[in-house]
Amino acid sequence: MNWLTPLTAIYAAAIAVPLFLLLYFLKLKRQEDVVPCTLLWKRAVQDLQVNAPFQRLRRNILLLIQLLMLLAILAALAGPVLALQSMKTQRYVLLIDNSASMNATDIKPSRLEHAKEQATVFVESLTDASFFSLKRQPPQVMVITINDTAKVVCNFTSNKTQLTEAIERIKPGDGGTQLGQGLALARAYCQTPDVESNNRTAEQAAKLLLFSDGGIQDTQSLKIADNELAYHAVGTGTDNVAITAMKARRSFENAEQVNIFALLTNYSDAPVTTELELSINGDLKTVKSLTVPARSDNPTSGEKQNGQVSIDFDISSLEDGVIQLRQTRSDLLAADDTAWAVLSAPRDIKAMLVTDGNRVLESALKACRSVKLFRCSRQEFSQMDAASMALAKPYDMVILDNHDGAAVPRGCYLVFGKPPEGIGVEAAEKGENQIVVDYRGKHPILNYVNLDNLFVSQYHKMTLPREAELLAEFDQTPAIGLVQRSQSTYILVGFDVMETNWPFEPGFVMFVYNAVSFLGEQAGLAEKSELAVAEPVTLQGFQAGTEATLNGGDYANEKIIATEGGKLHLPVMERVGLYRLEMPETSRTFAVNMLNASESDIRPQTQLELTGETVTAGDAEIKRFNLPIWPYIVGAVLLLVCVEWFVYNSKIRL
Amino acid sequence: MNKLDTLDVLSRKILRGKLQGQRRSKRRGQSIEFADHRPYVVGDDLRFVDWNIYARLEQLFLKLFIEEQDLTVHVAIDVSGSVNYGQPDKAVFIKKIAAALSYISLVNNNRLTLTTFRQDVVSQLKYMRGRNYLSQMADLLLDAECEGVTDFENVCKQLVASQVGTGIMIVISDFMFKEGYEEAMKRLFGRGYDVYAIQALSPQEVDPELKGDLKLVDIEDADTAEVTISGALLKYYKKNLSAYCNELKDFCTRQGGHYVLAKSSDSVEHLVLNYLRRIRLLS
Repeated sequence: MNWLTPLTAIYAAAIAVPLFLLLYFLKLKRQEDVVPCTLLWKRAVQDLQVNAPFQRLRRNILLLIQLLMLLAILAALAGPVLALQSMKTQRYVLLIDNSASMNATDIKPSRLEHAKEQATVFVESLTDASFFSLKRQPPQVMVITINDTAKVVCNFTSNKTQLTEAIERIKPGDGGTQLGQGLALARAYCQTPDVESNNRTAEQAAKLLLFSDGGIQDTQSLKIADNELAYHAVGTGTDNVAITAMKARRSFENAEQVNIFALLTNYSDAPVTTELELSINGDLKTVKSLTVPARSDNPTSGEKQNGQVSIDFDISSLEDGVIQLRQTRSDLLAADDTAWAVLSAPRDIKAMLVTDGNRVLESALKACRSVKLFRCSRQEFSQMDAASMALAKPYDMVILDNHDGAAVPRGCYLVFGKPPEGIGVEAAEKGENQIVVDYRGKHPILNYVNLDNLFVSQYHKMTLPREAELLAEFDQTPAIGLVQRSQSTYILVGFDVMETNWPFEPGFVMFVYNAVSFLGEQAGLAEKSELAVAEPVTLQGFQAGTEATLNGGDYANEKIIATEGGKLHLPVMERVGLYRLEMPETSRTFAVNMLNASESDIRPQTQLELTGETVTAGDAEIKRFNLPIWPYIVGAVLLLVCVEWFVYNSKIRL
Repeated sequence: MNKLDTLDVLSRKILRGKLQGQRRSKRRGQSIEFADHRPYVVGDDLRFVDWNIYARLEQLFLKLFIEEQDLTVHVAIDVSGSVNYGQPDKAVFIKKIAAALSYISLVNNNRLTLTTFRQDVVSQLKYMRGRNYLSQMADLLLDAECEGVTDFENVCKQLVASQVGTGIMIVISDFMFKEGYEEAMKRLFGRGYDVYAIQALSPQEVDPELKGDLKLVDIEDADTAEVTISGALLKYYKKNLSAYCNELKDFCTRQGGHYVLAKSSDSVEHLVLNYLRRIRLLS
């Protein structure tokens, strides 16, 4: 047996029991008194009793009080509630937005806390299963948090304590707002019969209650039924200046030089002057003062446009370290005022060019400053020990010129000619005289590369596996493809450069540079250290059982143990900031940045434009409804008891 | 005492006495106060024939005189438990009244019979006359203990049976008799007494100062009554008390007697000197 509110009962007992005993003793003990004759007293009592039914009712305050007490107890038993809302729906899903914008402090302490309060009020207002009532079961509630992903905080239950505790446990995050997953999750749970409801399926659709500030990024792809979703908008303010983009990278020409680029966005309706601080490894290097224009009408489209200012810094020499950019003006949302970048020390890429002589390719590779080039002939390459190549990795990448299709050990490859065997690419036939029909100019490998004028006289007809990326294609076959499988990366160019007019195009040098950079990243030279919020991180190549410690954000000395496969899965990093992972020999720093323009826009939306339907925000505040009055009545009864006692003892003459 | 000396017990009835005294009696007898004439019948004493009338009318008429007799005063006081109550004490008060009245009677040469009663007549001094009996009377009153229950009817039966002769019967009691007083009093009235009922009540009875939940115990028979004192109850009590007193008064008046209500807080002197005089018990 469990007690839900034992303290209440104990307090009540502590007051009521002694009082009751006191009354009991006072009432029972009649003092003896001697009178000469009881004759007249008896007559008086008789008279009093004879006249009692009506006369006493009118005059006896004690009787009135006792009557009132009785009525009050009866009223309390009837279970009165204030502001009754008939709960037609039996199931509710509370969708609570804990994205970054919900951390705005325009409502103290924060929007999320306010939303949690409202949700709690709603939960507490639900009707209880009354002990005396034979009616249906109480409504059931489920709580889901939504940010980039949706999470069930509490499954369907009518236990209010459990629900309020679950709501209280919701932590703020710095992610985006995706409602779709939450809806899918809610609908999925609504259809499964659960244990608590005696395996009955939900005959009624559950009602969804969304507590959010409306910065939902996937509204256009959502569909809801009529009255399925009730939206409670949270938030009032718009004052926010955010760093919405930041990138630090080494100069192409000089690896020691670092270019830092940042974009500041102003979401408020007034221009804002702020200062941007640049610190490296915690030391303040420079401060720039700048004015960000106000949100204004776009002159062409007429839509509202947020004011933006871009800014860049150049740092002449930097080995490695953490770069921090901070916008100093205090606004409603703090998470987007700071951004970090982690730079690792510059390192030469060791590249092996396997060719029987190709000056074009060689000079293009030499143009890449950070590449240390090795050379060997195809004959020498085929004689190398494949196993030791795969394990020791003496070269970061291998460039195969006019390859003949022989199998290669694991690693990163840029292949010109026939693709190597064993990677799922077939290239049995050859074709002639083709031009590139289409290509993906936005892919990092084809960045700034123009293939419009490329003419190929001979090529291999490749058939790429399904998971491969197609970068450029001829009329019917792929021209350039990207294949990634079993820790190897292959950029496959299905022709020999010398069979084309490509060497005469400036795009060729760009392509080689991009490919080398891309492969360098794949080879783990430029490890990814800048993460989006809640981006999963898995590190590889550890011995099973290796222990690492993560610090930063919500984590303090969080132990992580490598899996059997030697993988280290970092826990979800939901807050922005710097995270430091201590591994047995080394350590790494991760920067989790918000850099989310739509989430920084904290302007509360009163309407959600969903596909085919517009949901308008309901009441700003959820008022406490279904407020049970019986505790107050019981209190009043206690008070009446005291009054009765007082009246009784002070012998009030009427 | 000196004040009492000037008083005398007065009966409004002309009652018959045994010794010649200073009272007018119903009997025509030898005195100087003329009462009436009546025709002579054979056998009448010729000494009383009014010869002046015979001279005028030549018919014999007898002269009748009112005979003066002494007065029998009977004082009966209640010494049951119920009088032993109140502040000031009812018992003392009753004894004081009895003493005063007895003193007046003795001093004025009335024949005094003093009786104390509760269930039965407790003690009785009969036919006292003159100042010599004062100490005896005082002893009786002083020695009387107030306790026990009353049986007024039985007492009246005994009083009537004791044949102390008609006269004034002064009953001093609280008249709170559970079995009623009517039958008993009727016996007294029926015997031809000139009855004075003096009802003595303490201030606590008239205006009770009780509070709260009480178990009231009867001082005589330990009968109990559980009451919760309230305004209404007190009102009913007072109403009943005054109704009771009025009933007693009406009863006495109807039967040709007299009724006096005395509170023990009143001064005995005032009561005796003024009040009893005013109702012409004393002159």
